[in-house]
Order: sequence, then C-alpha cells, then structure tokens
Amino acid sequence: MQGLDRRSLLAGAAAAGLAAGGDLLGFAKAWAQNAEWKPEPGASLSLLRWKRFVPSEDEAFLKLVDAFTQATGVKITVSNESYDDIQPKASVAANTGQGPDMVWGLFSFPALFPDKCLPLEDVADSLAKKYGPWFPSAEAYGKVKGKWIAIPVAFNGGYPNYRISAMKKAGFDKFPTDTAGFLELCRGMKKNNTPAGFALGHATGDGNTWCHWALWAHGGNLVDANEKIVINSPETAKALEYVKSLYETFVPGTVSWNDSSNNKAFLAGDLYLTNNGISIYAAAKKDNPKLAEDMDHAVWPVGPVGKPTEFQLAFPILAFKYSKAPNACKAFIAFMMEASNYNPWLEQAQGYLCEPLSNYPKNPIWTADPKNAVFAEAGRRSLAAGGLAPVSERIAAVLADFVVVDMFASHCTGREDVKTAIKNAERAAQRIFRNT
Amino acid sequence: MAHTALTQPVPVAAPTRSSWQRFRASRGWAGFWFMLPTTLILGLFLAYPLLKGIWLSFTNTRIGREGVFIGLENYEWLWDDDVFWLSVFNTCLYTAVASAIKFAVGLYLALLLNKNMPFKAIIRSIVLIPFVVPTVLSAIAFWWIFDSQFSIISWSLRHLGIIDGNIDFLGEPAMARACVIFANIWRGVPFIAITLLAGLQTVSPSLYEAATLDGASNWQIFWRITLPLLTPIIAVVMTFSVLFTFTDFQLIWAMTRGGPVNATHLMATLSYQRGILSGTLGEGAAIATAMVPFLLAAIGISWFGLQRRAWQAGESDR
Amino acid sequence: MSAPAPPAHADPHLNPVLAAQPAGLTDNSEGMAYLERLPRRLVTTYLPLAIILVVLLFPFYWMALTAIKPDEQLIDMEHYNPFWVVQPTFKHIHKLLFETQYPRWLWNTMYVSVAATVLSLFASVLAAYACVRVRYRGAGWVGAAIFLAYLVPPSILFIPLATIVQAYGLFDSPIALILAYPTILIPFSTWLLMGYFKTIPYELEECALMDGASRWQILTKIILPLAFPGLISAGIFSLTLCWNEFIYALTFLSSTQNKTVPIAVVSEFVDGDVYKWGSLMAGALLGSLPLVILYSFFVEYYVSALTGAVKE
Repeated sequence: MQGLDRRSLLAGAAAAGLAAGGDLLGFAKAWAQNAEWKPEPGASLSLLRWKRFVPSEDEAFLKLVDAFTQATGVKITVSNESYDDIQPKASVAANTGQGPDMVWGLFSFPALFPDKCLPLEDVADSLAKKYGPWFPSAEAYGKVKGKWIAIPVAFNGGYPNYRISAMKKAGFDKFPTDTAGFLELCRGMKKNNTPAGFALGHATGDGNTWCHWALWAHGGNLVDANEKIVINSPETAKALEYVKSLYETFVPGTVSWNDSSNNKAFLAGDLYLTNNGISIYAAAKKDNPKLAEDMDHAVWPVGPVGKPTEFQLAFPILAFKYSKAPNACKAFIAFMMEASNYNPWLEQAQGYLCEPLSNYPKNPIWTADPKNAVFAEAGRRSLAAGGLAPVSERIAAVLADFVVVDMFASHCTGREDVKTAIKNAERAAQRIFRNT
Repeated sequence: MAHTALTQPVPVAAPTRSSWQRFRASRGWAGFWFMLPTTLILGLFLAYPLLKGIWLSFTNTRIGREGVFIGLENYEWLWDDDVFWLSVFNTCLYTAVASAIKFAVGLYLALLLNKNMPFKAIIRSIVLIPFVVPTVLSAIAFWWIFDSQFSIISWSLRHLGIIDGNIDFLGEPAMARACVIFANIWRGVPFIAITLLAGLQTVSPSLYEAATLDGASNWQIFWRITLPLLTPIIAVVMTFSVLFTFTDFQLIWAMTRGGPVNATHLMATLSYQRGILSGTLGEGAAIATAMVPFLLAAIGISWFGLQRRAWQAGESDR
Repeated sequence: MSAPAPPAHADPHLNPVLAAQPAGLTDNSEGMAYLERLPRRLVTTYLPLAIILVVLLFPFYWMALTAIKPDEQLIDMEHYNPFWVVQPTFKHIHKLLFETQYPRWLWNTMYVSVAATVLSLFASVLAAYACVRVRYRGAGWVGAAIFLAYLVPPSILFIPLATIVQAYGLFDSPIALILAYPTILIPFSTWLLMGYFKTIPYELEECALMDGASRWQILTKIILPLAFPGLISAGIFSLTLCWNEFIYALTFLSSTQNKTVPIAVVSEFVDGDVYKWGSLMAGALLGSLPLVILYSFFVEYYVSALTGAVKE
C-alpha cells in the first residue's frame, strides 16, 4: 500500500517535473537554434536586478536563466538589490564602465545615461512583431529620443486597495470611478472611523505614484512635451486643494510613511483604503483570510481631465555598451520576453507584475482570482513618468527628488499655502531642468 | 673668513648631496618613513577624493556623463534654495542639540559608572551595546518604535490613559526632529560616557579626599576639581561627537529619508538624494563641499571653546 | 600635551600586569565609598543608573523580542501585549542562518573589519610614534592635519571615492573597503596612541639608542609591548566602526556574497514594500553578538587603556 503510494507519487512528481522542466529546456534549445542573436562563444553575463516582491517570482526567474544557460552555454550571474539602490549602482557602473552587463531596475533610470546603453532597436521590434504593439507608456520608458535603449519588461500595478465592508458602510456599492466620488468615499469612511490613508512621505513607489495621479487627474503637469515648466497653473492649484481635502480624511501619520507603512496598517486593520501593489492582498491571503475576503482592488478614479491618469512602476532592463557580449545580452532579453518563458514567470509573480505588450496570450494569473484582474490593467492605463514630457534623466531626478510629493505634502500639512507650494515645486523643477 | 676661502673649491654639487645625506640621517627622514603609510592612505582615499569632490562641485557632471566647468552655478542655485537652507538649519540644530544632550547625559553616566558598585564590568559592557549594534539596523528598530500606527510608546500611553490617539512621531516636523535626535543621542551616549569614564579615572583620589576634608560639597568638588581636570578629554570627545553628528547619514536615511517634507533632511542626506538618487553629481558634491565650512565652524566652537576653558582652568601647559 | 612624563613608578600603565587590572588602583571612589549609606546611594546612583540603562537597553530588548515574535503578533496590538511574546518562534533566526548567506556575510564583515583595523593600527602606530618621538620638523602640524582628516567624512567622500574605487578596479571587492575604512580609523587611533606613547618615559628609549638600537627596534621591542593596552583600545574602537559602517559598503559592494552584515541584512529582508521584521532584527542582534562578547571581555581593559591615553 505504502510502497504503491510512494511510487505513484514519485512517478507523478517526476512526470510533472519532466513536463515543466523539459518544456522550458526543450523550448530553450529550439529557440537558441533559431534565435536572431547568437551569443558570443564563451560569453558569460552578470545581471543586477531589483529585489523580488515574492520569492516564487525569483525562483521562476532563476529557472528561466538556467534554461537560457543550458541552451546557449552562456552563464549568467544574477545579483539583487533593493529597488531604491539599483539606480545608484547602475549609475556608478555607467560612469566608470565597469560592473554588471545588464541592469534591471525601476522607472526611467536608463534615461540617466542613454549614451551608455546598448541600442536595443532590434529586440524591441522583434518583440513588437510577435506580441505588440507596445503600450505607449512602455514605449516611453524604453525609448530616449526615438531610440530604444531599454526593454520595459513589466509594470507593477499600484491600485486602490479597499475594505469592501467599510466602503459599503460609507454608502458606496461600487468603488467610485471619478475623483469627486472618491473624495466622498474617503469622507464617508472617515466619518465611520474606518479611514483611508495614502503615503505622503518619501515613498519611492506608493508616494510618487498616487501624487502624480492626483496632479495629472486635474490636468496639472510639471513640464509640458517640450520640457517647459508649466507647474504654475490653476489646474495644479485645484489638484492641491483636492489632495488637501483628501488628506483631511486620512489616518494620522501619512506624511511619515514609506512604502511599507500602509501594508502594515492595512493588514492590522487600522487602515481601510490605500494604494498599493498586490502585496497586501497576497499577505492577507496567507495570514488573514478573513481580511482577504473583505478586501478588493479598483482602478484609479478618473479626474476632470476625463481619461485615466495612472502612474505605475515600470521595470525596464538595459544592457551596457561596455559589455563584452552584447549579442548574448540581446539574446537573453529576447529570450526572457518570449511568451513561453515570460508567461510562466509572470504567473509566478502572482499579480505583482503585468505585461508591457498588448498581445501576449492571456495570463491565467489574471483570471485565477477575480480580485487580481485590476492589476492586469497597469501597463495599458499607465502614463510614463514624465506625463507629457519624454522620459529623461531630468524626469528621473524629479522622481528621486520627490518634487511632486513634497509639493502636496507641504501643502497638506499646512506648512505652505497653495502658492508657495507651487512656487517651491516650480523652483525645484527649474533647478532640475536648467540648461546645463 | 679664511674658513670660507678654504671651502671654496668644493664642487657645487656637494652641498645638495650632503644635505640629502643629512636629511637621510636626520629625524626628517625617519619621520618620512614613519608617516608614509598614513600619508598614502589618507592621500589616496581622502585628500584626492576630496579635491575631486570639490572639482565636481564646480561642474555640471551627472552620473554617467562627464561635466564641464560651470563656475559657481551649483552654489548659486543652492544659495536661494529653501530646501538646502532648511537642511543647513536641520544639520546645525541636530548637531547642537544632540551633542549638548549627549555630553550632559554622557558625563552624568560616566560619573555614575565611576562609583564603586557590584557587577561593574557587566554594567559597563551593557552600556556600550547601543554603540555596537549596526546603526542602520538600530535605526530601523527606532523607526518601528516611532511608527505612526504601531508605536510601542503610543500604545503604552494609550493604555495608561494619557492620550487618546496615536502620536504622530515622524509626521510632525518638530516631533520628527526630536525623534531622530533622540535616536542619535541613544547611539552616541555610550561612547562619550565610556571615554569620559576613562578620563575620570585619571583624577587622583587624593584630590577628592583633600577636598572632602576641607569641607567641599559634592557640587563644589565636581565643579572645581572634576570638570577642570576633565576638560582636555571633553574637548577631544566632543569634537569627535560633533563631527560624527554633523555628518550623520544612516540614522536619518533609515528612519525618515529626510521627511516629513524635508523637515529632517541633513546636508549629508540631501547630498545623497541629489547627487546619487537624482543623478546630479555636481550639485550633490556642491552640497557636500558646502558642509566643510560649517563643519569647520562647528569644530572650532567645540575644540577651541573647550580649550579656552582649559586655559582658564589653569591648564596652560597644553 | 607637553607635560613632563610622570615618574615611572607612579604610572600603573607602564606595567602591563598592573594595567590589566586597573579597577582596584585607579578607581577614585574607593576612598569615599564608606561615606555614603545605602538609601542615599539608592537614590543618587542606582536609580538614575537603572533609568538610563533601561532607556539604553529598551531598543535592544525590542529588537530581541521582534526577532522571536511570530508575524501575526507583530502588528496585532489588541490581542497580544506588544511588550511580551507568546509562543516564541525561532523561524526568523532559522531562516536567517540556513536560508540566506548570513554566515558568509558575517565572515565578510569580520574579514573586512579585522584587515582594515590591522592596517590602520599599523599606520597609526608609525604615525603616532613619529609625531611624538621622532619630532621631525612640522611634526605638530602633521599631527593636527591627521586629525583634520575627520573634517572630510564619508558622506562627503563617497561620490568621488566611488569613481576612484572603480578606476583602481576595486569595485565590488572587499579590498576597496579595507583600504577606505582606515581613513575613518587612523585619526582616532593616532590620537589615542599619541597620548599613550607620551606616557612612556624617554629614558627607556635613550638607553636603547645608546646601545645602538634603531628606531624600528625601539618601536617594536620597547614601545609596542608597553603600549599594548593602547593598541587593544584603538583596535576595539576601529573594529566597531568598521563593523557598523554603512555608506561605503552600500556604494562599493554589489554582489550578494560580498556584502557585509548591515547592508546585506537590509537588502535581503526588505522585499519591495514588505519588511521581514523578525529576520531583520535577528540579523542585527546576531551580527552584533561577536562585538558584544568582545566588549564584555575587554571593557575594563578598554577603559583602562583609554585612561592611559588621556592621562596627559
């Protein structure tokens, strides 16, 4: 009896292993035969990537790397760095021409040093042919001055997370789709002592994304398409006033929040509406199923401008020109974006990440749980970091300097009135966009 | 003058050779060899980067792109930059308040530790613990202790019925400054206390006994004997403390990242944010270079201020 | 600091055996202890000391508690008393030790710290001796200049230094740290050792010089053995600074297996917006354990050595 069980178990496991492992490897070998880019013989690569959100994603990625190595003989060393630290590291590498061959980081970091990036025109085109077109925001992140210097691998959706019961109690059956309704909801929740809260501290992800959403939703922009500074506008003032009235409904302490603060507060049941990736839901499903059942996600409400103005995290990958094996880099990037590699990997990312191209085969992760579905929209609905302006080193500086977040925060805390807050943001923008 | 005449025919090269030889036989030569390792290390890894940093501050270098000389432009932009001046103010406030309290508490603790008591060695090593734990990790612990929702302090006060809602420790500018200063004090006191304790032990017990016999009060003893004798070591320790506080980075970075709304940005953190994260190396370097004069002033105050006290107290032999 | 050296017999630090047990000799309160009665001591000494100790230790306790707290108790302050833990778990510590490269990081930290400490002690011994005893022209100025090195802290230097480290081809190598750390260690060590060397009487050296010993022989055979407590003290201090250094390690190291404890723990246990509190704090505690043990053995030594150094 026991023996039989064990044997059948083993057989099953082996079969499954063979199916999964064999598929990946088999595909990899076949792919390597026909690949457009033949890795340099004896090449080995190093890749610096952002530190995973979930371990399963990391494991799936390493499997993918492994398959590539077995098929092509190119060894890839992967190292991790928290996503705040990727940019400095990449910058130092770019500056000195030493370091990892490829860097996979956050937002517009390749635009900090476009001249040092290997042109990836061919890879981008080949992917667009298969799965394209690229979403406009993906294109904006990958291209600088019309040239592809990076491949936007994925987006990370950050959306309103809310407690269903608290929303209903505040008098809403469905999550509001416009900014006015959103404010009403927050007010209602505040009244019921089930407050909302959005990070106004120096939170790279949560803070930057929702503040830009609020600014853009009201038609405000830091700079226009020609990098002219246009922050000093009635639209910005409206956005400031709007966020201030939102802030009045927030749980105390949001000015000090970093990316992790709202996760903690939401999971502890002190916070009922916030913006976040899927990480809160994932943690709740694991440790607090009751809370998971009572929570859901919604797309960002649309503001007076009448169209989505979301701002999502993007994860572009670049290869440096100094790499001794540029073809191997290209081959690897194309390989990881290949649907039969990309999709299983994305699935293991458990909804943290979503596609940058519009015609990938439907990933089962988005239908596995109806509460995941919202996060599939990130690439489609997101604007790029610059808003109207092209992604550039300056835009990267605006984000790193928290110009927009600080503008909102200083007004919300009452430290500065609308005019001063705008003036200070304008000056910061002038400093960053000055002609030197 | 015959002497000169006699030495005249000696070849011209000789004086240089002999001075070279004299140098080789002299203290200067030995000094040169003894100073070589220190000079090399400080030169290559301190002086050279410092000069390079100053040069960078006059250029518009961005990360990944060579810059060109732009004169004082970076400094001009800083000159009327509110955030920069706020960071200067914060740095000065942080240094002044934290150093003063660290000194007071450190001295008090040193006096306590200097008394005879059981388990002295254990207590002394316990005192040093905050100095030993990696700062960035203790800063993360503090960040949790001062959390806006889960602060153990808010929790205790709420359960004692003293407050109703949570205290927004790191969200209010004044409060946030107090919190980071507290964390800095926590970390800095042990080193000061232990070093001052070492100083206290150099004070000869016979002085105290004589003073006690003369009927001096404890306060008088402290003020007239202990403090003056301790002044040289205080000057050194406080100079160290001012230096390390002024240039602090980790604590702020782990606890607030300069928030709320730049209320706790120090010059060092602002320089990192602008130079590395935003990629404007030139501007970051300018902020870092701007620290030097302030630092000199702070050290001047702590070093010479305290030294003067030493002279007044009769320590003229320094 | 030009006070004449005290007569040899009066200075316990000249005798290493005496210096090692300074408590009985240098504790000035011994003579007056009988004057204070217990209740009075309770209020003036033990109570304030206890308060300060509690404040100093509380964050440490908090870290230890967090390290063994199950995750669900961490943010649930309604059902669980946050000051205590029920059903402690060793999950976080297990994860730290067996599922990450923690032992490796600890080894890196030790290796870098010890190497940098040895290097800076070597340099500072020579520099301090030269400033105090060789008395070459400008010695005083050089001494001051070394101290001025502290004017240039890491937070100013790391930007240009990063480019230099790259230029020397030392990026992502422990050597970069071993060479950079002495810049923050040498000034303090030199100052401490200068103070210490001054307490060693000239007569000893003069005798040796007359016997034809070289400077180097004098340093290694006479001065260093006498200055041993000073070396220990400077060494422990340097070790601590290296152990906790953050900004250079953050900038110069990149691969996971090369990292030191402070930066590795932070980057390993912060997953995007989720902090692994238990393992973070366990990492902090275990990482500082070697130093705590070192201090508990050497604290009296450390104090007495500092005493020797600051005696001037």
